[in-house]
Amino acid sequence: MVSLARKNLFHDRLRFFITVAGVAFAVTLVLVQVGLFMGLLGKATVTIENCGADVWVTSKETPNVDFAHTFPETAVLRVRGVTGVQRADNLIVQFMNIQLPSGAEEGSLVYALEDFRAWNLPWRVDAGDVDDLKRGAYIMMDVSAERRFGPFEVGEYREMLGRRFKIIGTTAEAQSFTTAPIVFMGYKNAQEQLQTLQGKTQYVLVKLAPGADRAAVIAELRRRLPYNDVWSREEWARRSRAYWVVSTGLGMNMGITVFLGVLVGIVVVAQTLYTSAVEHVKEFGTVKAIGGSNWDIYRILGEQALIAAVIGFALGGLLSLGMQPLMARLHLNVLISPSFAAAVFAGTVLMCLGAAMLSFRRVATIDPALVFRA
Amino acid sequence: MQEPVLAVRDVVKVFDEGSQKVEVLKGVSMEVAPGEVVALEGPSGSGKTTLLSIMGCILTPTAGEVEVAGTRVNSKRPDELRAVRRRSIGFVFQQYNLFPALTALENVEYSLNVKGLRGRRAADEAARVLERVGLGDRLRFLPRDLSGGQKQRVAIARALAGSPRVILADEPTANLDTAAGTQILDLFRDLAKGDGKGLVIVTHDPKVRKVADRVVGIRDGRLAA
Repeated sequence: MVSLARKNLFHDRLRFFITVAGVAFAVTLVLVQVGLFMGLLGKATVTIENCGADVWVTSKETPNVDFAHTFPETAVLRVRGVTGVQRADNLIVQFMNIQLPSGAEEGSLVYALEDFRAWNLPWRVDAGDVDDLKRGAYIMMDVSAERRFGPFEVGEYREMLGRRFKIIGTTAEAQSFTTAPIVFMGYKNAQEQLQTLQGKTQYVLVKLAPGADRAAVIAELRRRLPYNDVWSREEWARRSRAYWVVSTGLGMNMGITVFLGVLVGIVVVAQTLYTSAVEHVKEFGTVKAIGGSNWDIYRILGEQALIAAVIGFALGGLLSLGMQPLMARLHLNVLISPSFAAAVFAGTVLMCLGAAMLSFRRVATIDPALVFRA
Repeated sequence: MQEPVLAVRDVVKVFDEGSQKVEVLKGVSMEVAPGEVVALEGPSGSGKTTLLSIMGCILTPTAGEVEVAGTRVNSKRPDELRAVRRRSIGFVFQQYNLFPALTALENVEYSLNVKGLRGRRAADEAARVLERVGLGDRLRFLPRDLSGGQKQRVAIARALAGSPRVILADEPTANLDTAAGTQILDLFRDLAKGDGKGLVIVTHDPKVRKVADRVVGIRDGRLAA
């Protein structure tokens, strides 16, 4: 079957280029901006997702994993007494200043545990042994800290809140949403750093016994710890993400970016398709005169919109993927998951079809009798 | 006389123009027999294009009746009118109205697609009618690469595609030089006589009189003697 839609679209190459460029721009804007946001948001839950805990016990109304509050560390004993709990340990997540060789001070986010290996924290160790952390005033620092702390080597010392710690290893991928570099140290060391942490913890990590009913364990923990919150791993990750998305306005910011991207796409596609429809009025009149219906013309416009969507998405997608390594050099992670890309593709198709529909009313009113006008 | 392929009887057409009603056709009746070429002449505003639109089932009459290929068209429903156009009527326009992005072959094939014929059969039929109008060597040419006469031949091929019983042509020679115009009119005549199609040509061109079996004049919405 002859595709008048495709032929007309490719016949006017400049208009086609403008249409596709508009779609590609909108797609790139959405993919990169939201990808950056997703990359950033990934940091908000990276420790939750990599930690081996099935359930997290937090203080009441803790908004996210970085902003922890203290509660008595003996709570862990009550947790361990619940049927279905295989293991439970205290975890401290605390902001502490670190003295740099330059004399400057920077903030760091300390993760402190008695047994890191049992909880898969840190999950990527580049140098050193996490078991050594409990054996003295030792720390491991994430390599991403170099941007804030300057270069550092294993074996060097850094002062934290007036106490010298030896760097005994480095980790990777351990970054917080607040951009404060993550430092790992022994649980007792962390408690000794701050008076407010004496006899206190900030989280209890819970690993379930094989075959344990997670919902039942969580319900029992909630009953036994009425002054704490108890979250499954997924709930806690969702809550942490939601805090940054909703409470900080970042989500709204991102929503506006997506809206603007889609708006640009709709305006460009609608404008070019509408102009094209107006310029092809006589052709559409001819289609009607020879027996075609409005639906034949809607199909032409719809097919053109679909082609623009597919090619525009492909170009925008390639452009976004090409930008990933460039952004990575700037330490920005553009996260484009297959499901996100699929959602953007579906959105692009809807956007283009929606834009095409703006021309439908115009072509519906075309009088086939115009073919007799000179 | 043979059963007419096209007939209009007591056709009246009134247009609403604001608060005014303008009666463009005032009781027009005419018939076109198979193989007959009818030239329809008249000054601007006489109602000939309106009559052609009604004969072509693009417009519906305010009163009166239209019969195309033996079927009375008494519906005002657009889908039924479209069906009559697809099945029984071919149009040739003054400005050719070809699709600029489609080749000669595709222009004809697309018309067949609209009429419901698809795929290889449509392509073969399109090539066949283009051969018939003498454009077998121009199948892949875009309209911009064809002369005015060749474009009009493509338009005629498009009108012929699907074998309609009636061909309605609106000033088909107006944009052609004398030689090309004469060739087109000869082609029209051959097609009408050879296939038994009824042909109505709206024209101001005196050359059309030479090929027409009958010349019908229209003045102020009425057929003139």
